[in-house]
Amino acid sequence: MIAGTLTVGREQILAISQDVFAAMIDDGETIVFERFGDVNEPADPIVAWVDMTIGGLGIGARAVVRTERTVADALTRALLVMDADEVVGPEDLVDAFGEIANVVGGNVKSLLAAHAVLSLPTVAGEAPTMAEHQFLQQIPLDWRGHTLVVSLWSLS
Amino acid sequence: MYVLIADDSRVMRQIVIRTLRQAGYDWKIVEAADGQEVYDLALAEQPDLILSDWNMPNATGIEALNALRQAGCMIPFGFVTSEGSPEMREQADEAGALFLIAKPFTAESFRDVIDPVLV
Repeated sequence: MIAGTLTVGREQILAISQDVFAAMIDDGETIVFERFGDVNEPADPIVAWVDMTIGGLGIGARAVVRTERTVADALTRALLVMDADEVVGPEDLVDAFGEIANVVGGNVKSLLAAHAVLSLPTVAGEAPTMAEHQFLQQIPLDWRGHTLVVSLWSLS
Repeated sequence: MYVLIADDSRVMRQIVIRTLRQAGYDWKIVEAADGQEVYDLALAEQPDLILSDWNMPNATGIEALNALRQAGCMIPFGFVTSEGSPEMREQADEAGALFLIAKPFTAESFRDVIDPVLV
């Protein structure tokens, strides 16, 4: 039941991410691609996630986006059309990076086989505890030479 | 044209306003950060159009729309949301929304949806 309801392919997550970055950040240009090879854990991480809860079934999914803080700063500057040397404040960082997770997660939600309710985004300096959750999918992305990782987990 | 833009994300409100300008809509804007503010500002300011996110704190966009309609307020209302599933489009339509623009959006997708309702 869970596997069928929460099935979302890597290529679908890649396509969603490409659409989100092209429309919101890169002036219509697709410059986000799957990153191959080893992916190091961020030294100074920032993580944003949204939950999708399928009420009737008591299950759900969590979409998580993680990257380096400096990359999230660059994304925030791009979203707010800031100068390259402008300092990014913590409120703008949380708002902008959370909104990326929100839009990616909202589009992932539309691929689920059952209607789900989307949470507001959460942004933190470390990933949420996932020990009791089941890993479903992950794709590392390359954006302008930087690495972001989008992962999907079950919340059952 | 006087438009109420509602989203709990200030970043997203700025993106919506920027995209409206890119689409050629040079409108006067008032901003709301949650569904309760949508309701309060709509009644107080009487904008010509409301563009609202769906998933917001305090009250959601659909709750704000339902409350406005129950209060007899018939200001044209459209959603700009990351959740564009058929179920939500149906729910928006039943509540009286004119359209639902899914995030991520472009200036072209704004024009495609908004131009027809301005006639």
